[in-house]
Amino acid sequence: MLSVLLACPLVGMLIILALPKTWVWTIRMVALLATGFALLITVELLNAFNPQAGIQFQQHASWIPQLNVFYHLGLDGLNLPMIFLTALLGFLACLASFSIHERHKEYFALYLLLEVGMLGTFLALDLFLFYIFWEVVLVPMYFLIGIWGGGRREYSAFKFFVYTLAGSLAMLLAILALYLHTHTFDLLTLAQAGHSLPLGLQRWLFVGFFLGFAVKVPIVPFHTWLPDAHVDAPTPGSVLLAGVLLKMGGYGFFRIAYPVCPDAAMAASWIMGLLGVINIVYGAFVALAQTDFKRLVAYSSVSHMGFVLLGLASLTVEGMNGAMLQMFSHGLLTGGMFLLVGVLYDRAHTRDLGAFGGLGVTLPKYAGLLIFFSLGSLGLPGLSGFVAEFLSLVGAFRVPQLQLFTMVSLIGIVLAAAYMLKVIQQVLLGPLNEKWKSLSDINAREILTLVPLLVLVIAVGVYPLFVLQIQDAPLRALIAHVTGR
Amino acid sequence: MSTVLFDSLRSWWPETILSAGALIVFVAASWTHNTRPVLALTWATLGASALALWQTPVPPATELFFGLIVCDPFSLVFRWLALVAVAMTVLLMGASNDIDVSLRGEAYGLLLLIAVGLMLMAEANHLLMAYVAMELVSLSAYVLAGFLDDSRSAEASLKYLLFGALSSGIMLFGMSLLFGLTGQLAFPDIARACTALSDPATQALSLIILLLLAGLAFKISMVPFHMWTPDVYEGAPVAVTALLSVGPKAAGFALLIRLMHALQVAWPPLVATVAALTIVTMTFGNLVALVQTNVKRLLAYSTIGQVGYLLIGFAVNTSVGLQALLVYLVAYLFMNLGAFACVVAVVNESGSESLDAFRGLATRAPGLALACSLFLLSLAGIPPLVGFIGKFLLFGAAIEGRQMWLAVAAAFNSAIALYYYVNLIRLMYFGRPVQRTPFRVAPAIRLALGVCAVATLALGLLPGALLSVIHAQAILNLL
Repeated sequence: MLSVLLACPLVGMLIILALPKTWVWTIRMVALLATGFALLITVELLNAFNPQAGIQFQQHASWIPQLNVFYHLGLDGLNLPMIFLTALLGFLACLASFSIHERHKEYFALYLLLEVGMLGTFLALDLFLFYIFWEVVLVPMYFLIGIWGGGRREYSAFKFFVYTLAGSLAMLLAILALYLHTHTFDLLTLAQAGHSLPLGLQRWLFVGFFLGFAVKVPIVPFHTWLPDAHVDAPTPGSVLLAGVLLKMGGYGFFRIAYPVCPDAAMAASWIMGLLGVINIVYGAFVALAQTDFKRLVAYSSVSHMGFVLLGLASLTVEGMNGAMLQMFSHGLLTGGMFLLVGVLYDRAHTRDLGAFGGLGVTLPKYAGLLIFFSLGSLGLPGLSGFVAEFLSLVGAFRVPQLQLFTMVSLIGIVLAAAYMLKVIQQVLLGPLNEKWKSLSDINAREILTLVPLLVLVIAVGVYPLFVLQIQDAPLRALIAHVTGR
Repeated sequence: MSTVLFDSLRSWWPETILSAGALIVFVAASWTHNTRPVLALTWATLGASALALWQTPVPPATELFFGLIVCDPFSLVFRWLALVAVAMTVLLMGASNDIDVSLRGEAYGLLLLIAVGLMLMAEANHLLMAYVAMELVSLSAYVLAGFLDDSRSAEASLKYLLFGALSSGIMLFGMSLLFGLTGQLAFPDIARACTALSDPATQALSLIILLLLAGLAFKISMVPFHMWTPDVYEGAPVAVTALLSVGPKAAGFALLIRLMHALQVAWPPLVATVAALTIVTMTFGNLVALVQTNVKRLLAYSTIGQVGYLLIGFAVNTSVGLQALLVYLVAYLFMNLGAFACVVAVVNESGSESLDAFRGLATRAPGLALACSLFLLSLAGIPPLVGFIGKFLLFGAAIEGRQMWLAVAAAFNSAIALYYYVNLIRLMYFGRPVQRTPFRVAPAIRLALGVCAVATLALGLLPGALLSVIHAQAILNLL
């Protein structure tokens, strides 16, 4: 089942490569079908998933016997929400990709390759396989930004590639050191062996993995690639960057760094908490200062990912659940925000917040959606962001050494309200700028890309158990494993 | 005596065929200026030699020709590498239009001779044989580097000759000291004599190793004996550069490993020096490559960087390191030859070697740009390509050999190297082309590109077969 899920985008890519490049409509349909099938399979997996049963749907085959490398995929409560998020955003961003109007064949082939890499990263239970998929993501994203992006796209694509690869190389050394010590790449075995590794080794391993994941999350001060890449990427690229790629880093902490180096993770708890607070507050302040719509959303991501770190640092049931939920919720909300920025940019060809004003009158449907996603982003109760951030904060507050950090990070929530309301005010309210009088409202295809996200944001906000019950059991097991309680 | 010769010949048919073929090609080339029959003859020789190599029985280790050379599984890997490298070069040379048609016959003959020399370097079991093999490769290469009718090519040839003569002189000096110290010339005898040496003499041994290393460092472009590399690569015909960047490097490593194996006793005090040179080599190559604007010079510095990675396998001096080195050599052969095949295609079309000639290549020749990106990403070590597998093993060997700083330096270097490899990809895909006319790639280059691309991708996705072959070949006898 999981291999079929991976095969969907891969087969789609091969078909697209075989098609002549003038058949634009067919190419789009193939891509849409491939991502659509992947989404259907994920929904099917969601139905068949048993939250109490641990790792399910495993696939295990020998790949490089000399190195003990296996093709090992599996599904549990940690990666299922991420898989669902990837498949969903993959499908919606594919729909949004119809606004791409040059070099379609290359675009969709690379897009599907990207989806293979993202799904594979979350599915892999073998560290070597994980690393391969992790790196496979880089190349298509580099081209998506570099060819179809805007602004200083070459520079941004380049920065993204080099930063992430430099981080990954630190991770590669950690993987090698781990392998030479344990002679296995199997993540389940490695997680069990976690406590038996000497503390000195665990520290180094944690540093290696941390550098790899920190660039992706991104954790300040490794975040400088993010605003450039997000701003210059084409809309679907930004959606996947913010919605999925950042989650790969967070997921890495849950799946690899914490289980494999439990003692080091315990010791580093307050550092993770501190970095989380810095992310939250720094990201929020910088977002507040932005005049470019997309850049503002990009920095808000830095701020929101801080809650993931804070929840992670707490190592409590509430905090960890909040962190995981925040990843899921942030994927939905920021994905939506980037789609909305794209909609506006396609029409007005500017993202300067100061240039707009009064669009609420001419674009009522657009205004409704923008207000909804902005409110979700600033953490309005009843929507998904509130639940996730609340849980993270509660969890962190229960740990004495993180209490101060938790209090400081509340500033971030206030600032989030400030910058999100600033967006609403500058874009939708005020006197109408005559230049934008003839702007057309959001069309049916674009609404279609946003509605599923909107429904899920409300669903998770009102009934968070929908996600929590999936992830709760493995998170409790992880906490028990790391803390020994 | 004649029975020894006949017995030896049985394992040595590939080289015999190549030598005879080379001589026939020379005669044929002076007879006719039509390259077609000469090229056919060259391919026939290569084919026959490959067939003979396939049929050669490989016992664990056989000393041939009175112990001058040894045919063992270790040398078998390098014999195949030499054959593949030369065959690819013949393909590229036939398709590139920088060498004058009337001279190509001689070039093919010299290439076949280089193949013999490369194989001998990997098989040498005797100091004299090692020296003769190295000179055979070097002399043919000096001539080939000067095959173009311009001053740059002549300069390249002369520079190569002068540096080469100097370093082989140093090496010869080391050899004579070694002979004076041990009274032996064959490697196994030297190894035995060295273990019996007393303390002050072992220190002399360290000096000898450094002198020998100087000669071989020239062959493999190890800092500080790399100075000739960029100039020679730039001036020589592209196809010859392709061969120089792969063939002598592989054979040089083979000889280096064999020599050091014989001098194992004196190894421990030198580990730090070699490790430091390894780091300097890769860092220097990669840093200088960043600022190059000529694609051949860029690949020359990239070669120095890659040699730095390869040296890790040598510096750690373990069986894991040796295997990693062999795997990376195989990987490097395909990806680097592939990259040079792309350069041949571009130089043929545009006549320019500047990086700007690659601008907008993706719109003019999408297949070529795709293949070129594949090779560059593999050189940069991006999975799932074969370059990644090799680097992975080399880094692992460094960590396993308790030389963590080698691994860290190599990781840093990989990040630096990504910059210039990706820069070339950036030019091909994001740059605006100077001309818009699509260009056709010659069939021979396409074949070379295809072989290299398939190997780069397939060996990266399914490295199992390669790893088990290397494992079986390397472990049996040397360590």
